[in-house]
Amino acid sequence: MDQGELSMDKILLIAHTEANGSLSKASLEALTCAKDLAASLSTTFAVGVFGENTAKALEQIGSCGAEKYLSVSGADFKDARYATDSYAVEGIYRKAQASIVIAAGTSRMNRVIPGVAHRVEGVAELHVSSIAGSATELTATRWLYRQRIEAVITRASRPWFLGVDSGNYTAWTGSTSAVTAESVATEAPAACKRSKVVGLESPGSGEQTIKPDAELLMVAGAGWTKKQADGTVHAQEARKTILGFLSKSGASLGGSKAMVDLDSENREAFNFMTHLNQIGQTGTSPRHQKGLSTCCHGEEPHAVGWRFINERRAVNLDANCGWARGKADVLYVADAFAVMAKVNELLSK
Amino acid sequence: MAQVERQKLEADIVCVGMGPATGGFLTTLTKEISEHQGESYLDSKVMPGMPLQVLCYERADDMGFGVSGVVSRARGIKQSFPDIDWSQIQMAAPVKGEKLAYLLDPIGASCRSGLFKFSDTLIRSLKAVLPYKDEALEMPFIPPFMEKHGGAVFSIGQFNQWVGMNLMSSGQVQIWPGMPVEKPLVENKKVKGVRLVNQGVEKSGAETEMFMPGMDIEAALTVVGDGPVGAVGQYLDEEFGMPQGHHKHEWAVGMKFVVQLRDDVDLEPGTVFHTFGYPEPEVFGFMYIYPGKVASLGIFIPSWFDNPVRTAYRYLQHWMMHPYIWKHVKGGTLKSWGAKSLQESGITGEPHLCGDGYARIGEGSGSTNVLTGSGVDEAWTTGTQLAEGVIELLKAGKPFTKENLEATYVAKRRASWVQEEGKVAEKSRNGFSYGVIPGLIGMSLAGFSKGLLNIPAKLVAPHKRYKSLEQYFAGKLSVQKIAEIREICKKANKTIHDEIMNACGWPEIPYDGTLLVTQQDALLIGGKVQAQGGFADHVEFIDTDICKGCGMQVCVEICSAQAIAPGEEGVPVFDREKCVHCGACLWNCSQELPQGHGVTNVKFGAGCGGLHSVEN
Amino acid sequence: MSNAYSIIVCAGLAPDPLQRLEPMDTPTGPALKNEMMLPAVLDPWAACALYEADNLAKKLPGSKVYLVSMALKTKLQQVMMVLSQKVPFELVAIDGPSNGFTDARECASELAQAIEAIPGLDKDKMLLFGGWESATRAAGATMQILGEKLGVVDQFQGVDKIEIEPSGAIKLWERVEGGKQQVSLCESAPVMVGWATGELPEPPNNPQVGMANMRTVMPALQKAKSAAASSSALKFKGVTLPAQVRETRIEKDMPVEAIAQELVTWIRGN
Repeated sequence: MDQGELSMDKILLIAHTEANGSLSKASLEALTCAKDLAASLSTTFAVGVFGENTAKALEQIGSCGAEKYLSVSGADFKDARYATDSYAVEGIYRKAQASIVIAAGTSRMNRVIPGVAHRVEGVAELHVSSIAGSATELTATRWLYRQRIEAVITRASRPWFLGVDSGNYTAWTGSTSAVTAESVATEAPAACKRSKVVGLESPGSGEQTIKPDAELLMVAGAGWTKKQADGTVHAQEARKTILGFLSKSGASLGGSKAMVDLDSENREAFNFMTHLNQIGQTGTSPRHQKGLSTCCHGEEPHAVGWRFINERRAVNLDANCGWARGKADVLYVADAFAVMAKVNELLSK
Repeated sequence: MAQVERQKLEADIVCVGMGPATGGFLTTLTKEISEHQGESYLDSKVMPGMPLQVLCYERADDMGFGVSGVVSRARGIKQSFPDIDWSQIQMAAPVKGEKLAYLLDPIGASCRSGLFKFSDTLIRSLKAVLPYKDEALEMPFIPPFMEKHGGAVFSIGQFNQWVGMNLMSSGQVQIWPGMPVEKPLVENKKVKGVRLVNQGVEKSGAETEMFMPGMDIEAALTVVGDGPVGAVGQYLDEEFGMPQGHHKHEWAVGMKFVVQLRDDVDLEPGTVFHTFGYPEPEVFGFMYIYPGKVASLGIFIPSWFDNPVRTAYRYLQHWMMHPYIWKHVKGGTLKSWGAKSLQESGITGEPHLCGDGYARIGEGSGSTNVLTGSGVDEAWTTGTQLAEGVIELLKAGKPFTKENLEATYVAKRRASWVQEEGKVAEKSRNGFSYGVIPGLIGMSLAGFSKGLLNIPAKLVAPHKRYKSLEQYFAGKLSVQKIAEIREICKKANKTIHDEIMNACGWPEIPYDGTLLVTQQDALLIGGKVQAQGGFADHVEFIDTDICKGCGMQVCVEICSAQAIAPGEEGVPVFDREKCVHCGACLWNCSQELPQGHGVTNVKFGAGCGGLHSVEN
Repeated sequence: MSNAYSIIVCAGLAPDPLQRLEPMDTPTGPALKNEMMLPAVLDPWAACALYEADNLAKKLPGSKVYLVSMALKTKLQQVMMVLSQKVPFELVAIDGPSNGFTDARECASELAQAIEAIPGLDKDKMLLFGGWESATRAAGATMQILGEKLGVVDQFQGVDKIEIEPSGAIKLWERVEGGKQQVSLCESAPVMVGWATGELPEPPNNPQVGMANMRTVMPALQKAKSAAASSSALKFKGVTLPAQVRETRIEKDMPVEAIAQELVTWIRGN
């Protein structure tokens, strides 16, 4: 469906509940996005929530000013499962009949948004970092080519589903308030239940090294695995230093591609580093307030993986490293083994 | 670990290396196959009922990765493609103008001889009447033997890709990049095919759970076009020796940048610059202008440049910043970077061109013309000559024996312009063994007399030429100063050339992260250098005790990519992830092994990885 | 019950890592400058999907791997020269754009048509594989739309591991927030699997695999159908490189203790 008149846009926020029944920070950020957009378009917005029990979540945002609240609540919708999630989202959309659908870019929502958009003959965008509306046009900003190229796009087609990445909007805060939500569905058809969620696992050595809510990201580069000035590799020392730093600072750990692709000579010493830790290239571009890169030389950490790190510092032996220059706020030209050992010592005090 | 069986594959013809020579060979052969489909002489012997099975293995990760820009008369290429339209190939243009310039030293840091210094003074004092500008003297004419009018400037990378894609599209041959060949299979002095390198191994060569022994590819004919430092060529040189009086004593390492020039630079595509005199008199430079305001520019560091710390990278930056070049390049952006060894012995470096079951083509077969400074077209042409010979033998139903290949391929090569001009060039550069000025005089003598005159000299291998730092820099740096530098660098475990150059008065490079970048950034930003896992290191130091007693470590200093670094007790450390496979370490080792024959202590084998750029 | 599957891997091409990318405007919309000269690779996540598909096919006799790829034909040919040596597959080629400016919806539509045209395809025995995102468009949307078009409603994204049980049930490990993996069990095929990096290394180059693949790759390229001209309502208002350059303070001669102290102060936010 094409919609020429932008002023006709109706906005819908769709969110899922967390295990404890509340809404995640990411969903509350998306709520801010929807609310802001409604204000800039002088229109109203509706909210749809799905999950095992949506009451708590709806109450959590009861004072957000939504025109309408919709709910898909029931045991079938407890787990993140494409078929039931898409059934819920489709149901909420069809009930609300909005032209703009906003959701948080969580793994659960990102999985279903494009498919549902297709079902209802709409279009979808994921990894959106901002949405701007004016009287004449609605634009979305997102990254292409692994955060290397930034694009501002627009579409005339509606409905337009947009998944907004976390970290771009301030999470909505407000008092709890009881709301009356319109129930859209309470169970899903049997065909949607061919899959079952059977568990949640932490891969790797068991060390929890990825902490999305940490203030600091430590990025370890392949330099930790290379021969040092004495001509030998100090893998065990590197392991001790990195893990020591993580436990003392509470930082999340990122690694360059070379670091997570280690050959078997070094794999054991760095077994706490899995592909899930990788940033840049085929890894993630996590969002943290601070980032400390150690022993990195190359594009991944500094150019792509660091895109969403606010304050950046690097410890590197190459003063002219073109990857750190212009990308980091401070570059310490020094041996990271010595510096980080000292940092650990100071953090222990 | 379970024993993994080595697999075998049979083909009719197997080629090693997908460069211009193999391009010429396969282009000629596939044309014949396409035009005579179904004729019995083109039937496969190993797969009855199928057409000739022709395979080509290339060590680089893709066709055209890691070669350089070139200016060429392109006579042989045009013979293969009479209607070639250079505009259909990226980064190519017909030659529009050629300039040869002598660069004076605007800094005063070079190790110029008195004669050069005197020349500089004289030129500067007569600048009102000489074609002198930007610290350079443009020669009024280019010696006719160097001219490339009617030819083209092009990127060998793009050209190789264009050729390779056409070949693959023909469906007549298969080209496999990322697949290094370890060695030829030699049995009773006959070449039976090739063995590919082992995969699924640690850097040390130790097997992993992914181990796959290098496959044997058996073929009636092995075409060796793996360049000047190729593993198969090296093996054959050792196995069969060199013909009487032939040697590969002359080399150069060429290093280049590809730069996106400023919008206001108005050099016409096809413009060619040749320079000499700076940053050191022994260093020659070039700049070719491609369409789209892109320049390929670089220098050659020859084996007779006796400075034992002759790292090309910093010299290249100083050369690029010479006012004569810099006025065009300043404000540009580095797009690509790379380095390559050149076999500069020409026809004197010609190995046995064929034997039972094999033939050699291209640069590794001594086809480069060292007088005209041309190698690509000659390499291409030798490939076409071999293909013509092979077709003759196929038609006649004769086997690929030494005798038959000599009667066809070698006879064609001997009767061609490649041979005729190679003979003119044969001794043209001998004068350089005495110095730059005798060298230039020798080139002129040979060039203008068509090879009748030259400066006689007995050439020696690079490792026999080295002077010590103290000898080379005598008069420029004191023995004490050099000792201090050695001590500083030893403590810091770093190469010595930067400190030496600083001490000589070379200014620091003002890095800007865009055009002037560190050597490590050149690897990543310019060369996009990568190395896959699963392969063994292809550079080895054969006897580490010899390294410990070496003291010179020219291999470390020359390394184009800082892939060889100083190590414990003087044994260099090799980092495959930085190597661009230029092969300079092979001919820059100063330590000949006890068995002699010019074999030095660096083993340079076949490995994949390296440059990931076809902009050159 | 037979556990032989048609494993369909959808994969585009992406610029080789470390290449400098520069967008430019063309009459038909944005494009990458020098796109034809940039070395290309199979999109890294989709490449993981291909290696996983091969691994699975080896364990499940009778299974067959198809590689469905849309890209400019010349680029596709180039990538196939390397890729064909890795694992056995049958190529289904679509001659069309592979840059990041193509709409995911249009890409999915082309892929769906090509898959529907695979002779004798039994969708009940189909494992639809792809990357959970592409390194070009980075939309993370194509595979879901494609799944819907092909009627696959059991979809999984960010998958690192798959196991097929003797009953035909399919167990999958998906990446979710916090460095964790959600484990799901699906009754049977068809499923759509958007792969993260998986768990397998890049396979070695096998000349015999290459020879075998080439028999089908070149004909597939020759008969590659051209993608329909873009009819997308997706409009690019601006495509830019992030220009932000930071003023980097470079501390060359600071003692280790001082660096450490400064870092600790910074980390603690004092």
